[in-house]
Amino acid sequence: MFFKDKILNDEEPKLSIGFFHLSSCSGCQVAFLDMFEAAVEILDTVKLVYSNMLTRQKEIPYLDVAFVEGALCLEDQHHLNLIRELSEKSRIIVAIGGCSSFGGVRRLSCGNQPPQPQHQSFVPITEVELLKGKVKYAIPGCPPNSSLLYNFLLALLELNDDFLQPFEIMALSKKASGFDVIAEVVNKGLCVGCGTCSAACPTRAISFKIECAKPSFNPSICVHCGSCLASCPQSFKPYPQPTYT
Amino acid sequence: MLSLNEKFLIGSYKKVFFVRSQRGNPVETLFKLMLENGLIDGVLTCSEKKGKATPSLFLKANQVKVNPLNSYFGINTLLKRALQKYRLNKLAVFAPPCVFDGLNKTQYFGIGSNWTKTAVALKVGLLCTGALTENSRQLEVIHLTGEKEKVKRYFYDRANLVYQLESNREIIVPVNVHHKYILTACRYCLNMGAKGTDITYVPKKEPNEGLFIVRSERGWYTIAQVQKIAPADLKLRVSEKEETEELVSLLRDKSLLNINDILERVELGLPTPKWSDNKLRKFYRAWNSIEGNFEEEVF
Repeated sequence: MFFKDKILNDEEPKLSIGFFHLSSCSGCQVAFLDMFEAAVEILDTVKLVYSNMLTRQKEIPYLDVAFVEGALCLEDQHHLNLIRELSEKSRIIVAIGGCSSFGGVRRLSCGNQPPQPQHQSFVPITEVELLKGKVKYAIPGCPPNSSLLYNFLLALLELNDDFLQPFEIMALSKKASGFDVIAEVVNKGLCVGCGTCSAACPTRAISFKIECAKPSFNPSICVHCGSCLASCPQSFKPYPQPTYT
Repeated sequence: MLSLNEKFLIGSYKKVFFVRSQRGNPVETLFKLMLENGLIDGVLTCSEKKGKATPSLFLKANQVKVNPLNSYFGINTLLKRALQKYRLNKLAVFAPPCVFDGLNKTQYFGIGSNWTKTAVALKVGLLCTGALTENSRQLEVIHLTGEKEKVKRYFYDRANLVYQLESNREIIVPVNVHHKYILTACRYCLNMGAKGTDITYVPKKEPNEGLFIVRSERGWYTIAQVQKIAPADLKLRVSEKEETEELVSLLRDKSLLNINDILERVELGLPTPKWSDNKLRKFYRAWNSIEGNFEEEVF
Protein backbone atom coordinates (compact mmCIF):
# COMPACT_ATOMS: atom_id res chain seq x y z
CA MET A 1 0.00 0.00 0.00
CA PHE A 2 1.17 3.54 -0.73
CA PHE A 3 1.93 4.56 2.83
CA LYS A 4 4.30 1.66 3.30
CA ASP A 5 6.70 3.63 1.06
CA LYS A 6 5.74 6.83 2.79
CA ILE A 7 6.67 5.45 6.19
CA LEU A 8 9.99 4.22 4.83
CA ASN A 9 10.92 7.28 2.78
CA ASP A 10 9.16 10.39 4.05
CA GLU A 11 10.70 12.76 6.50
CA GLU A 12 7.40 12.99 8.33
CA PRO A 13 5.99 9.48 8.41
CA LYS A 14 2.63 10.57 9.82
CA LEU A 15 -0.42 9.65 7.81
CA SER A 16 -2.31 12.84 6.94
CA ILE A 17 -6.06 12.44 7.09
CA GLY A 18 -8.94 14.80 6.51
CA PHE A 19 -12.66 14.66 7.16
CA PHE A 20 -15.00 16.09 4.55
CA HIS A 21 -18.67 16.81 4.73
CA LEU A 22 -21.14 16.50 1.86
CA SER A 23 -24.89 16.23 2.15
CA SER A 24 -25.55 14.47 5.45
CA CYS A 25 -26.52 14.95 9.07
CA SER A 26 -22.89 15.02 10.29
CA GLY A 27 -23.59 11.94 12.41
CA CYS A 28 -20.65 10.09 10.84
CA GLN A 29 -18.29 12.89 11.79
CA VAL A 30 -19.67 12.88 15.32
CA ALA A 31 -19.07 9.10 15.47
CA PHE A 32 -15.56 9.78 14.20
CA LEU A 33 -15.01 12.28 17.00
CA ASP A 34 -16.51 9.85 19.50
CA MET A 35 -13.68 7.42 18.96
CA PHE A 36 -10.95 9.90 19.72
CA GLU A 37 -10.84 9.02 23.39
CA ALA A 38 -9.72 5.56 22.32
CA ALA A 39 -7.69 6.84 19.41
CA VAL A 40 -5.25 8.91 21.50
CA GLU A 41 -2.77 6.08 21.26
CA ILE A 42 -2.62 6.30 17.46
CA LEU A 43 -2.43 10.08 17.21
CA ASP A 44 1.36 9.97 17.01
CA THR A 45 1.04 8.19 13.67
CA VAL A 46 -1.84 10.21 12.27
CA LYS A 47 -2.13 13.92 11.47
CA LEU A 48 -5.58 15.45 11.09
CA VAL A 49 -5.06 18.11 8.41
CA TYR A 50 -8.65 19.04 7.58
CA SER A 51 -12.00 18.84 9.30
CA ASN A 52 -14.80 21.39 9.26
CA MET A 53 -15.43 20.63 12.92
CA LEU A 54 -11.91 20.35 14.31
CA THR A 55 -9.55 22.47 12.23
CA ARG A 56 -9.55 26.08 11.04
CA GLN A 57 -7.98 25.17 7.72
CA LYS A 58 -9.79 26.92 4.87
CA GLU A 59 -7.89 25.41 2.00
CA ILE A 60 -7.73 21.69 1.43
CA PRO A 61 -4.11 20.50 1.64
CA TYR A 62 -2.72 17.46 -0.14
CA LEU A 63 -3.52 14.48 2.05
CA ASP A 64 -3.18 10.70 2.22
CA VAL A 65 -6.64 9.61 3.27
CA ALA A 66 -9.84 11.61 2.86
CA PHE A 67 -12.79 10.40 4.88
CA VAL A 68 -15.95 11.62 3.21
CA GLU A 69 -19.41 11.60 4.75
CA GLY A 70 -22.64 12.34 2.94
CA ALA A 71 -23.95 12.09 -0.59
CA LEU A 72 -23.00 14.42 -3.40
CA CYS A 73 -25.72 16.96 -4.13
CA LEU A 74 -25.65 17.62 -7.85
CA GLU A 75 -27.15 21.10 -7.50
CA ASP A 76 -24.63 22.28 -4.91
CA GLN A 77 -21.60 23.94 -6.49
CA HIS A 78 -19.59 23.62 -3.26
CA HIS A 79 -19.99 19.86 -3.37
CA LEU A 80 -18.92 19.66 -6.99
CA ASN A 81 -15.84 21.77 -6.29
CA LEU A 82 -14.99 19.67 -3.25
CA ILE A 83 -15.22 16.46 -5.25
CA ARG A 84 -12.91 17.92 -7.92
CA GLU A 85 -10.43 19.03 -5.29
CA LEU A 86 -10.50 15.68 -3.51
CA SER A 87 -9.87 13.82 -6.73
CA GLU A 88 -6.68 15.88 -7.18
CA LYS A 89 -5.46 16.24 -3.62
CA SER A 90 -6.20 12.95 -1.86
CA ARG A 91 -4.40 9.66 -2.39
CA ILE A 92 -7.30 7.50 -1.31
CA ILE A 93 -10.87 8.26 -0.29
CA VAL A 94 -12.88 6.38 2.30
CA ALA A 95 -16.66 6.71 2.08
CA ILE A 96 -18.02 6.80 5.61
CA GLY A 97 -21.60 5.83 6.35
CA GLY A 98 -24.62 4.89 4.29
CA CYS A 99 -25.08 8.25 2.48
CA SER A 100 -21.64 8.43 0.90
CA SER A 101 -21.30 4.67 0.38
CA PHE A 102 -24.69 3.56 -0.90
CA GLY A 103 -26.91 6.64 -0.98
CA GLY A 104 -28.39 6.03 2.44
CA VAL A 105 -31.34 8.08 3.58
CA ARG A 106 -30.63 10.44 0.65
CA ARG A 107 -32.07 7.77 -1.63
CA LEU A 108 -35.46 8.73 -0.21
CA SER A 109 -35.03 12.47 -0.80
CA CYS A 110 -36.96 14.22 -3.56
CA GLY A 111 -35.81 17.77 -2.74
CA ASN A 112 -37.84 20.91 -3.42
CA GLN A 113 -37.88 21.67 0.28
CA PRO A 114 -36.81 24.74 2.25
CA PRO A 115 -34.24 26.10 2.95
CA GLN A 116 -32.63 24.80 -0.27
CA PRO A 117 -35.42 23.79 -2.67
CA GLN A 118 -32.93 23.55 -5.51
CA HIS A 119 -31.18 20.61 -3.80
CA GLN A 120 -32.97 17.71 -5.44
CA SER A 121 -30.58 14.97 -6.53
CA PHE A 122 -28.09 13.07 -4.45
CA VAL A 123 -25.47 10.53 -5.51
CA PRO A 124 -23.21 8.43 -3.30
CA ILE A 125 -19.54 9.18 -3.95
CA THR A 126 -18.94 5.53 -4.87
CA GLU A 127 -20.95 6.22 -8.06
CA VAL A 128 -19.01 9.30 -9.13
CA GLU A 129 -16.89 8.41 -12.15
CA LEU A 130 -14.28 11.07 -11.38
CA LEU A 131 -13.49 9.35 -8.09
CA LYS A 132 -13.31 5.82 -9.52
CA GLY A 133 -10.20 4.18 -8.21
CA LYS A 134 -9.84 6.83 -5.51
CA VAL A 135 -12.74 5.61 -3.38
CA LYS A 136 -11.03 2.56 -2.03
CA TYR A 137 -13.19 1.67 0.95
CA ALA A 138 -16.80 2.12 2.00
CA ILE A 139 -17.81 1.82 5.65
CA PRO A 140 -21.47 0.89 6.22
CA GLY A 141 -23.63 2.25 9.01
CA CYS A 142 -25.89 5.13 9.89
CA PRO A 143 -23.72 6.27 11.51
CA PRO A 144 -20.94 3.68 11.63
CA ASN A 145 -20.01 2.75 15.20
CA SER A 146 -17.08 4.63 16.61
CA SER A 147 -15.47 1.30 17.50
CA LEU A 148 -15.73 0.28 13.84
CA LEU A 149 -14.08 3.53 12.76
CA TYR A 150 -11.35 3.05 15.33
CA ASN A 151 -10.74 -0.54 14.21
CA PHE A 152 -10.73 0.62 10.60
CA LEU A 153 -8.17 3.36 11.22
CA LEU A 154 -6.03 0.89 13.13
CA ALA A 155 -6.26 -1.62 10.29
CA LEU A 156 -5.34 1.12 7.80
CA LEU A 157 -2.23 1.94 9.81
CA GLU A 158 -1.29 -1.70 10.32
CA LEU A 159 -2.03 -2.57 6.66
CA ASN A 160 -4.34 -5.30 7.89
CA ASP A 161 -5.74 -6.52 4.57
CA ASP A 162 -7.93 -9.17 6.21
CA PHE A 163 -9.81 -6.46 8.00
CA LEU A 164 -9.90 -4.00 5.11
CA GLN A 165 -10.90 -6.32 2.29
CA PRO A 166 -14.66 -6.45 3.00
CA PHE A 167 -14.78 -2.66 2.99
CA GLU A 168 -13.01 -2.66 -0.36
CA ILE A 169 -15.73 -4.93 -1.73
CA MET A 170 -18.43 -2.71 -0.24
CA ALA A 171 -17.04 0.25 -2.21
CA LEU A 172 -18.06 -1.64 -5.36
CA SER A 173 -21.53 -2.45 -4.03
CA LYS A 174 -24.41 -0.49 -5.53
CA LYS A 175 -27.29 -1.33 -3.23
CA ALA A 176 -27.57 -1.80 0.48
CA SER A 177 -30.79 -2.56 2.25
CA GLY A 178 -32.50 -5.17 4.38
CA PHE A 179 -33.42 -6.92 1.13
CA ASP A 180 -29.76 -7.94 0.87
CA VAL A 181 -30.08 -9.99 4.05
CA ILE A 182 -33.30 -11.52 2.79
CA ALA A 183 -31.93 -12.30 -0.67
CA GLU A 184 -28.37 -13.29 0.17
CA VAL A 185 -28.82 -15.04 3.50
CA VAL A 186 -32.44 -15.94 4.34
CA ASN A 187 -33.55 -17.00 0.86
CA LYS A 188 -30.39 -19.04 0.38
CA GLY A 189 -30.99 -21.03 3.55
CA LEU A 190 -28.03 -19.62 5.44
CA CYS A 191 -29.79 -17.71 8.22
CA VAL A 192 -29.07 -19.19 11.64
CA GLY A 193 -31.37 -16.82 13.50
CA CYS A 194 -28.73 -15.14 15.66
CA GLY A 195 -30.30 -11.66 15.40
CA THR A 196 -27.07 -9.75 14.68
CA CYS A 197 -28.64 -7.98 11.66
CA SER A 198 -31.47 -6.74 13.82
CA ALA A 199 -29.01 -5.39 16.40
CA ALA A 200 -27.02 -3.63 13.69
CA CYS A 201 -30.00 -1.89 12.10
CA PRO A 202 -30.09 1.76 13.24
CA THR A 203 -33.76 2.30 12.35
CA ARG A 204 -35.24 -1.01 13.51
CA ALA A 205 -36.24 -1.75 9.93
CA ILE A 206 -35.15 -5.30 10.68
CA SER A 207 -37.02 -6.94 13.50
CA PHE A 208 -36.83 -10.55 14.54
CA LYS A 209 -39.55 -13.19 14.35
CA ILE A 210 -38.96 -15.70 17.10
CA GLU A 211 -41.62 -18.11 15.80
CA CYS A 212 -39.75 -18.74 12.56
CA ALA A 213 -36.29 -17.73 13.81
CA LYS A 214 -35.72 -15.31 10.95
CA PRO A 215 -35.39 -11.55 10.52
CA SER A 216 -38.32 -9.62 9.18
CA PHE A 217 -37.74 -6.52 7.02
CA ASN A 218 -39.81 -3.34 6.81
CA PRO A 219 -38.55 -1.50 3.70
CA SER A 220 -40.43 1.73 4.42
CA ILE A 221 -38.05 2.66 7.26
CA CYS A 222 -34.81 1.24 5.83
CA VAL A 223 -32.17 3.95 5.29
CA HIS A 224 -29.93 1.80 3.06
CA CYS A 225 -26.91 1.99 5.32
CA GLY A 226 -25.66 -1.54 4.62
CA SER A 227 -25.08 -2.49 8.27
CA CYS A 228 -27.32 -5.56 8.26
CA LEU A 229 -25.57 -7.62 5.62
CA ALA A 230 -22.15 -6.42 6.76
CA SER A 231 -22.82 -7.60 10.30
CA CYS A 232 -24.36 -10.96 9.34
CA PRO A 233 -22.03 -13.82 10.33
CA GLN A 234 -22.99 -15.66 7.16
CA SER A 235 -21.97 -12.85 4.81
CA PHE A 236 -18.24 -13.14 5.44
CA LYS A 237 -16.19 -14.59 8.25
CA PRO A 238 -12.97 -12.70 8.27
CA TYR A 239 -11.67 -13.07 11.77
CA PRO A 240 -8.41 -14.94 12.19
CA GLN A 241 -8.48 -18.47 13.50
CA PRO A 242 -5.62 -19.09 15.89
CA THR A 243 -5.58 -21.66 18.65
CA TYR A 244 -6.04 -21.18 22.35
CA THR A 245 -3.35 -19.65 24.48
CA MET B 1 -7.90 -35.17 3.68
CA LEU B 2 -10.73 -34.58 6.08
CA SER B 3 -10.72 -36.62 9.25
CA LEU B 4 -13.79 -36.59 11.45
CA ASN B 5 -11.78 -37.06 14.60
CA GLU B 6 -12.32 -35.68 18.08
CA LYS B 7 -10.20 -32.59 17.35
CA PHE B 8 -12.38 -31.70 14.38
CA LEU B 9 -15.72 -32.51 15.98
CA ILE B 10 -15.30 -31.19 19.51
CA GLY B 11 -12.27 -28.94 19.03
CA SER B 12 -9.40 -28.21 21.39
CA TYR B 13 -10.12 -28.37 25.09
CA LYS B 14 -8.28 -28.47 28.36
CA LYS B 15 -10.52 -30.86 30.27
CA VAL B 16 -14.02 -32.31 30.15
CA PHE B 17 -15.84 -32.29 33.48
CA PHE B 18 -19.00 -34.08 34.50
CA VAL B 19 -20.93 -31.51 36.53
CA ARG B 20 -23.67 -31.99 39.11
CA SER B 21 -25.42 -28.95 40.50
CA GLN B 22 -27.24 -28.70 43.83
CA ARG B 23 -29.34 -25.77 42.58
CA GLY B 24 -30.85 -27.05 39.32
CA ASN B 25 -29.39 -26.66 35.86
CA PRO B 26 -25.54 -26.52 36.01
CA VAL B 27 -25.26 -23.54 33.64
CA GLU B 28 -27.88 -21.62 35.60
CA THR B 29 -25.99 -22.39 38.80
CA LEU B 30 -22.73 -21.25 37.24
CA PHE B 31 -24.25 -17.93 36.18
CA LYS B 32 -26.06 -17.44 39.48
CA LEU B 33 -22.85 -17.95 41.45
CA MET B 34 -20.95 -15.62 39.14
CA LEU B 35 -23.62 -12.91 39.34
CA GLU B 36 -23.87 -13.21 43.14
CA ASN B 37 -20.12 -12.76 43.45
CA GLY B 38 -19.69 -9.98 40.91
CA LEU B 39 -17.68 -12.02 38.41
CA ILE B 40 -20.16 -11.00 35.72
CA ASP B 41 -22.79 -8.26 35.59
CA GLY B 42 -25.32 -9.78 33.21
CA VAL B 43 -26.29 -12.92 31.32
CA LEU B 44 -27.45 -12.83 27.73
CA THR B 45 -29.26 -15.97 26.65
CA CYS B 46 -32.64 -17.33 25.67
CA SER B 47 -35.25 -18.47 28.16
CA GLU B 48 -38.72 -19.87 28.00
CA LYS B 49 -41.51 -17.35 28.61
CA LYS B 50 -45.13 -18.43 28.28
CA GLY B 51 -44.07 -21.52 26.38
CA LYS B 52 -42.03 -19.52 23.88
CA ALA B 53 -38.27 -19.25 23.55
CA THR B 54 -37.45 -15.59 24.11
CA PRO B 55 -34.08 -13.79 24.05
CA SER B 56 -33.42 -12.60 27.59
CA LEU B 57 -31.01 -10.42 29.48
CA PHE B 58 -30.67 -11.25 33.18
CA LEU B 59 -29.13 -8.80 35.59
CA LYS B 60 -30.07 -10.53 38.87
CA ALA B 61 -29.04 -14.00 40.01
CA ASN B 62 -32.52 -15.11 41.05
CA GLN B 63 -33.90 -14.37 37.57
CA VAL B 64 -31.47 -16.51 35.58
CA LYS B 65 -33.23 -19.21 33.63
CA VAL B 66 -32.03 -20.88 30.46
CA ASN B 67 -34.15 -22.51 27.79
CA PRO B 68 -34.43 -26.30 28.32
CA LEU B 69 -35.00 -26.74 24.56
CA ASN B 70 -32.59 -26.03 21.74
CA SER B 71 -34.23 -22.86 20.42
CA TYR B 72 -31.77 -20.09 21.15
CA PHE B 73 -32.79 -17.56 18.54
CA GLY B 74 -32.34 -13.80 18.29
CA ILE B 75 -29.99 -13.50 21.25
CA ASN B 76 -27.82 -10.88 19.57
CA THR B 77 -30.82 -8.58 19.18
CA LEU B 78 -30.29 -7.68 22.85
CA LEU B 79 -26.61 -6.75 22.49
CA LYS B 80 -27.26 -3.03 22.20
CA ARG B 81 -29.59 -3.10 25.18
CA ALA B 82 -26.96 -4.85 27.29
CA LEU B 83 -24.01 -2.70 26.27
CA GLN B 84 -25.50 0.68 25.52
CA LYS B 85 -28.59 0.89 27.72
CA TYR B 86 -27.38 -0.99 30.80
CA ARG B 87 -23.66 -0.31 30.17
CA LEU B 88 -22.66 -3.85 31.11
CA ASN B 89 -18.98 -4.59 30.77
CA LYS B 90 -18.73 -8.11 32.21
CA LEU B 91 -21.38 -9.82 30.16
CA ALA B 92 -21.74 -13.62 30.00
CA VAL B 93 -23.35 -15.12 26.93
CA PHE B 94 -24.91 -18.58 26.75
CA ALA B 95 -25.84 -19.63 23.22
CA PRO B 96 -25.24 -22.18 20.47
CA PRO B 97 -22.13 -21.72 18.28
CA CYS B 98 -23.84 -19.86 15.42
CA VAL B 99 -24.85 -17.02 17.73
CA PHE B 100 -21.20 -16.68 18.70
CA ASP B 101 -20.30 -16.28 15.03
CA GLY B 102 -22.40 -13.11 14.98
CA LEU B 103 -20.99 -11.97 18.30
CA ASN B 104 -17.39 -12.66 17.20
CA LYS B 105 -17.91 -10.67 14.06
CA THR B 106 -19.37 -7.76 15.99
CA GLN B 107 -16.39 -7.93 18.33
CA TYR B 108 -13.83 -8.11 15.54
CA PHE B 109 -15.22 -5.34 13.32
CA GLY B 110 -17.34 -3.22 15.61
CA ILE B 111 -20.26 -3.39 13.15
CA GLY B 112 -23.59 -3.61 14.92
CA SER B 113 -22.89 -2.73 18.50
CA ASN B 114 -20.25 -0.42 19.93
CA TRP B 115 -17.36 -1.68 22.03
CA THR B 116 -18.58 -5.28 22.22
CA LYS B 117 -14.97 -6.42 22.08
CA THR B 118 -14.23 -5.44 25.65
CA ALA B 119 -17.63 -6.13 27.19
CA VAL B 120 -17.94 -9.92 27.02
CA ALA B 121 -16.48 -11.66 30.06
CA LEU B 122 -17.52 -15.26 29.41
CA LYS B 123 -18.80 -17.29 26.48
CA VAL B 124 -20.57 -20.52 27.31
CA GLY B 125 -21.52 -22.46 24.21
CA LEU B 126 -24.22 -25.07 23.89
CA LEU B 127 -23.36 -28.27 22.10
CA CYS B 128 -25.84 -28.22 19.25
CA THR B 129 -26.93 -30.84 16.75
CA GLY B 130 -29.39 -28.44 15.15
CA ALA B 131 -31.90 -25.89 16.40
CA LEU B 132 -35.64 -26.11 15.87
CA THR B 133 -38.57 -23.76 15.98
CA GLU B 134 -41.54 -24.79 18.13
CA ASN B 135 -43.54 -25.87 15.07
CA SER B 136 -40.74 -28.04 13.73
CA ARG B 137 -40.31 -29.70 17.10
CA GLN B 138 -44.00 -30.55 17.32
CA LEU B 139 -43.93 -32.11 13.86
CA GLU B 140 -40.78 -34.02 14.72
CA VAL B 141 -42.51 -35.52 17.76
CA ILE B 142 -45.54 -36.46 15.62
CA HIS B 143 -43.14 -38.06 13.12
CA LEU B 144 -41.54 -40.13 15.88
CA THR B 145 -44.48 -41.03 18.09
CA GLY B 146 -47.54 -40.45 15.93
CA GLU B 147 -48.96 -38.24 18.68
CA LYS B 148 -48.95 -34.56 19.41
CA GLU B 149 -47.13 -33.87 22.65
CA LYS B 150 -44.96 -31.03 23.92
CA VAL B 151 -41.28 -31.54 24.62
CA LYS B 152 -40.21 -30.62 28.15
CA ARG B 153 -36.45 -30.77 27.74
CA TYR B 154 -33.77 -32.42 25.66
CA PHE B 155 -30.45 -34.05 26.57
CA TYR B 156 -27.71 -36.27 25.21
CA ASP B 157 -27.45 -39.81 26.51
CA ARG B 158 -25.10 -42.52 25.22
CA ALA B 159 -24.54 -41.09 21.74
CA ASN B 160 -28.24 -40.28 21.39
CA LEU B 161 -30.30 -37.15 21.33
CA VAL B 162 -33.27 -37.70 23.66
CA TYR B 163 -36.46 -35.71 24.14
CA GLN B 164 -38.29 -35.79 27.45
CA LEU B 165 -41.96 -35.21 26.74
CA GLU B 166 -44.53 -33.51 28.99
CA SER B 167 -45.71 -36.95 30.14
CA ASN B 168 -42.10 -37.67 31.25
CA ARG B 169 -41.81 -40.24 28.46
CA GLU B 170 -38.40 -40.23 26.85
CA ILE B 171 -37.91 -40.73 23.12
CA ILE B 172 -34.67 -41.20 21.25
CA VAL B 173 -34.45 -38.89 18.24
CA PRO B 174 -32.54 -40.55 15.38
CA VAL B 175 -30.01 -38.17 13.83
CA ASN B 176 -31.38 -38.58 10.30
CA VAL B 177 -34.92 -37.67 11.45
CA HIS B 178 -33.63 -34.71 13.44
CA HIS B 179 -31.68 -33.56 10.39
CA LYS B 180 -34.92 -33.13 8.44
CA TYR B 181 -36.60 -30.86 10.97
CA ILE B 182 -33.81 -28.50 12.03
CA LEU B 183 -33.25 -25.03 10.53
CA THR B 184 -31.85 -25.17 7.01
CA ALA B 185 -28.67 -23.34 8.02
CA CYS B 186 -28.04 -25.94 10.77
CA ARG B 187 -27.71 -28.58 8.05
CA TYR B 188 -24.50 -26.94 6.86
CA CYS B 189 -22.97 -26.30 10.26
CA LEU B 190 -19.66 -27.93 11.12
CA ASN B 191 -19.12 -26.31 14.49
CA MET B 192 -21.56 -28.30 16.58
CA GLY B 193 -19.15 -28.55 19.50
CA ALA B 194 -19.19 -24.74 19.97
CA LYS B 195 -15.53 -24.21 19.19
CA GLY B 196 -14.47 -20.66 19.94
CA THR B 197 -16.19 -20.47 23.33
CA ASP B 198 -14.72 -20.64 26.82
CA ILE B 199 -16.85 -23.55 27.98
CA THR B 200 -19.17 -25.86 26.06
CA TYR B 201 -22.17 -27.22 27.93
CA VAL B 202 -23.72 -30.60 27.11
CA PRO B 203 -27.07 -31.35 28.82
CA LYS B 204 -27.27 -34.84 30.35
CA LYS B 205 -30.14 -37.06 31.49
CA GLU B 206 -30.71 -35.56 34.93
CA PRO B 207 -31.72 -31.87 34.74
CA ASN B 208 -29.01 -30.96 37.25
CA GLU B 209 -26.24 -32.79 35.39
CA GLY B 210 -24.16 -32.01 32.35
CA LEU B 211 -20.73 -31.92 30.79
CA PHE B 212 -18.51 -28.85 30.81
CA ILE B 213 -15.91 -28.90 28.05
CA VAL B 214 -13.45 -26.30 29.30
CA ARG B 215 -11.51 -24.81 26.39
CA SER B 216 -9.87 -21.51 27.17
CA GLU B 217 -7.77 -20.06 29.96
CA ARG B 218 -10.72 -17.82 30.81
CA GLY B 219 -13.03 -20.83 31.10
CA TRP B 220 -10.53 -22.62 33.31
CA TYR B 221 -10.17 -19.56 35.55
CA THR B 222 -13.97 -19.23 35.78
CA ILE B 223 -14.43 -22.83 36.89
CA ALA B 224 -11.62 -22.42 39.45
CA GLN B 225 -13.20 -19.25 40.85
CA VAL B 226 -16.65 -20.78 41.11
CA GLN B 227 -15.24 -23.88 42.80
CA LYS B 228 -13.46 -21.68 45.28
CA ILE B 229 -16.61 -19.70 46.06
CA ALA B 230 -19.09 -22.58 46.37
CA PRO B 231 -17.55 -26.03 46.05
CA ALA B 232 -20.74 -27.75 47.22
CA ASP B 233 -23.09 -26.03 44.76
CA LEU B 234 -21.34 -27.20 41.64
CA LYS B 235 -19.62 -30.56 41.97
CA LEU B 236 -17.18 -31.51 39.24
CA ARG B 237 -15.43 -34.73 38.38
CA VAL B 238 -13.22 -35.43 35.40
CA SER B 239 -15.40 -37.02 32.76
CA GLU B 240 -15.01 -40.66 31.74
CA LYS B 241 -13.41 -41.23 28.37
CA GLU B 242 -16.50 -43.11 27.15
CA GLU B 243 -18.69 -40.03 27.70
CA THR B 244 -16.55 -38.00 25.29
CA GLU B 245 -16.36 -40.87 22.82
CA GLU B 246 -20.15 -41.22 22.78
CA LEU B 247 -20.43 -37.53 22.06
CA VAL B 248 -17.88 -37.75 19.25
CA SER B 249 -19.81 -40.66 17.74
CA LEU B 250 -23.06 -38.64 17.72
CA LEU B 251 -21.38 -35.58 16.23
CA ARG B 252 -19.68 -37.73 13.58
CA ASP B 253 -23.03 -39.13 12.41
CA LYS B 254 -24.49 -35.65 12.22
CA SER B 255 -21.41 -34.19 10.50
CA LEU B 256 -21.62 -36.80 7.76
CA LEU B 257 -25.17 -35.72 6.99
CA ASN B 258 -24.13 -32.06 7.05
CA ILE B 259 -21.13 -32.61 4.77
CA ASN B 260 -23.37 -34.45 2.35
CA ASP B 261 -25.71 -31.44 2.25
CA ILE B 262 -22.82 -29.00 1.81
CA LEU B 263 -21.49 -31.01 -1.13
CA GLU B 264 -24.95 -31.09 -2.64
CA ARG B 265 -25.13 -27.29 -2.47
CA VAL B 266 -21.75 -26.97 -4.13
CA GLU B 267 -22.87 -29.34 -6.87
CA LEU B 268 -25.93 -27.17 -7.43
CA GLY B 269 -23.79 -24.03 -7.44
CA LEU B 270 -25.41 -22.61 -4.33
CA PRO B 271 -23.42 -20.74 -1.69
CA THR B 272 -22.05 -22.65 1.28
CA PRO B 273 -22.03 -21.06 4.71
CA LYS B 274 -18.50 -19.68 4.75
CA TRP B 275 -18.21 -17.11 2.04
CA SER B 276 -14.94 -16.98 0.23
CA ASP B 277 -12.08 -14.57 0.51
CA ASN B 278 -14.04 -12.03 2.53
CA LYS B 279 -15.95 -11.23 -0.62
CA LEU B 280 -19.60 -10.62 -0.11
CA ARG B 281 -20.95 -12.57 -3.02
CA LYS B 282 -18.47 -15.35 -3.63
CA PHE B 283 -18.23 -18.46 -1.58
CA TYR B 284 -15.87 -21.00 -0.22
CA ARG B 285 -15.67 -24.28 -1.97
CA ALA B 286 -16.83 -27.16 0.17
CA TRP B 287 -13.39 -28.41 1.07
CA ASN B 288 -12.30 -25.04 2.32
CA SER B 289 -15.45 -24.92 4.34
CA ILE B 290 -14.63 -28.21 5.95
CA GLU B 291 -10.89 -28.03 6.41
CA GLY B 292 -10.76 -24.45 7.57
CA ASN B 293 -13.41 -24.85 10.19
CA PHE B 294 -11.17 -24.58 13.19
CA GLU B 295 -12.51 -21.39 14.67
CA GLU B 296 -10.98 -21.51 18.05
CA GLU B 297 -10.28 -17.96 19.00
CA VAL B 298 -12.05 -16.58 22.01
CA PHE B 299 -12.37 -12.82 21.71
